[in-house]
Amino acid sequence: MIRNYRREVAVAYLLILPFVLTYGILFLWPTIQMVYLSFTDAPLIGPGSWVGLENYYEMFDDRRFWTAVRNTAYFVALTVIPNTLIGLAIAMMVSRLKGWQQSLILAMFFLPYILPVSVVYRLWNWMFNIQFGILQYPISAIAGENINVFRTQWLFMPAVALVTIWWTCGFNILLFLAGLRSISPDIYEAASLDNANRWTIFRRITWPLIWPVTALVLTIQLILQLKIFDQVYLFVQGGRPDPSMVMVQYIYSLAFQKNQGGYGATVAVALFVIVIVFSVLQFQLLRARGEK
Amino acid sequence: MQKFFKIAMLSTVAALSIGAAQAQENVVWWDFLSGGDGVRMKALIEQFNTEHAGEITIQPTTLEWGTPFYTKVQTSAAIGEGPDVMTYHLSRVPLGVESGALAEMSAEDLSSVGLSADTFAAANWEAGQSDGKQYAVPFDIHSIILYYNKDKLAEAGLLGEDGKPTGLDGAENFMAALEKLKAVSETPLSVQTSGDGTPWRVFYSLLGQQDGVFLGEDGTFFPDETIPKAVKAVETMASWVEAGYAPALTEYENSVALFTSGESALHLNGVWEVPTMTDLAAKGELGFEWGAIAIPTFFDHPATWADSHGFAIPNNVGKEVTPEKKAAVLEVISWFNKNSLAWADAGHIPAYTPVRDSEEFKTKEPNATYSILADTAVFDPKSPLAGVASPVYDAVANYIAPAMNGELGAQEAIDEMKADLQDQAD
Repeated sequence: MIRNYRREVAVAYLLILPFVLTYGILFLWPTIQMVYLSFTDAPLIGPGSWVGLENYYEMFDDRRFWTAVRNTAYFVALTVIPNTLIGLAIAMMVSRLKGWQQSLILAMFFLPYILPVSVVYRLWNWMFNIQFGILQYPISAIAGENINVFRTQWLFMPAVALVTIWWTCGFNILLFLAGLRSISPDIYEAASLDNANRWTIFRRITWPLIWPVTALVLTIQLILQLKIFDQVYLFVQGGRPDPSMVMVQYIYSLAFQKNQGGYGATVAVALFVIVIVFSVLQFQLLRARGEK
Repeated sequence: MQKFFKIAMLSTVAALSIGAAQAQENVVWWDFLSGGDGVRMKALIEQFNTEHAGEITIQPTTLEWGTPFYTKVQTSAAIGEGPDVMTYHLSRVPLGVESGALAEMSAEDLSSVGLSADTFAAANWEAGQSDGKQYAVPFDIHSIILYYNKDKLAEAGLLGEDGKPTGLDGAENFMAALEKLKAVSETPLSVQTSGDGTPWRVFYSLLGQQDGVFLGEDGTFFPDETIPKAVKAVETMASWVEAGYAPALTEYENSVALFTSGESALHLNGVWEVPTMTDLAAKGELGFEWGAIAIPTFFDHPATWADSHGFAIPNNVGKEVTPEKKAAVLEVISWFNKNSLAWADAGHIPAYTPVRDSEEFKTKEPNATYSILADTAVFDPKSPLAGVASPVYDAVANYIAPAMNGELGAQEAIDEMKADLQDQAD
């Protein structure tokens, strides 16, 4: 059979066309628009005039911007690695269970993940409530008095990080469990014949073989947590928004509250660049380490 | 003859269809009123629809108060999908005008339905203006008042001959009164001390009582001569918490609960909580006799923060307003003002002077007791940064509320708030 190369290419283009169109209209075009907006003084709605790099100069001088960057970085540090390690630990425990027991326990760990953030906020806000919250029992046992956790500046981010880990850990557990299942039992069997202890098995077998999944989870987590908004926004309601402001929250405040679409876009571009640089860097680094 | 019939029939059809068109004038209405005043507004809308059956029908939608509402108004107006009429905080008019979300109302249109500068308090009418053009018509004046627990005040000997609280004027006297109340009440003064809202309203009132200028003509926040006054206002507020009279780090809802549960003798909050008290008292769940007065004069002269719910028409881009629709919307705005006595049940003071001067309102309690604040009202500063759910409100949550709790010094709070707002304005 003679293959008609041109025809095949045409068909291929035709087949990917719907995707390219959707991607172009819904992702690429808005992104280009965002970058364009960042060079203008546009309000939230409608066009603005070209101001060149002015927004960027302003951003580097902006106290709030740096607060937002610092807070976002702090939140990432508090969540990404702990969330991954806790996910792996729980997944290893769950994988030792069999049959319906495993399904049940897994379901319990996964349950928080399907809750909307507003429900998560309600639950934890109630549990931490200074007068009636159940968590005030351990808190007062340790600190000697009840503490309004979400109104105490230095406790705010760690508390939100804790809630976030509780909320999103289920998904990581699922990914890790899939990874653990793909490790052949033969390897473990061979190891136990060689009298390897548990720690050695983990260090020499499980950890290296699960590494691709760990790298994936870390990267997903990093991107997700850099874009933190909902939890911080909700928990700070009724308190002091500025000291714990994160980047997306700052973008929201600029664009929607202060009607500065252009400047909001500038901060959004900054976040976009940070996300890309860090996630690409991290993924490459982790992959390189894994291949050693 | 046949021709005559034809014309007669055609004209009948035409007349009927015009009639039908008028009969079906729907007015799409957006508001942000939920809770006690939302219920009362819905009753008013129903009354309007009944009275205008076959002519105008209001189709109401209630949206989320604050930033979500104002964002939605702005985005929907930009694409011509906004409502025909909406409630609007007069304090948010500057942002609405700046973002092009509001349509101007002409003096002729307004006077055609009997609304003009003379039918409202001057400061109130002007709060709906920007550059001398009218963008919103006031509907009410709402402010903060001092709620009191009559039983506790009587116990502490703070009720006058007329059964009204006495001896509360002056910052020192107020402290002395709180000291007396401490004997009969664990937390004598319940006031919100976390977040924005009440802290702003109290602060702005105390500033107004000293003739402090929040935003100068030249765009300076806290001009130099105002700074000591602002610091004094914050110190006064902080002293209530420091002395243990007011609770620290208390959010809005909790501050209301402290009073309704009978724990606090005094409560500083907006008039919109009047329905809460009325309804609880009517159900016999309050457990004490309550009242409300205008907030005491802590400093030189009476002044109280105030804002207004008003009516505004969005500048629906690309959507032509027919004369019939315009007439219907004007009728809505005018009718609600003329019937705003019922709105006073929600605690508000009617903006429309004939209603405020009516016998029925003058005997309506507790509104009549505090209605003098309509004349001493200081409205929010005119800036796109000010008004409900604005950067100014955020700044209050960031600096003034922490200062009330002693987390920041008063001077430091004012300095940082000034720097922050100035930074945002420039």
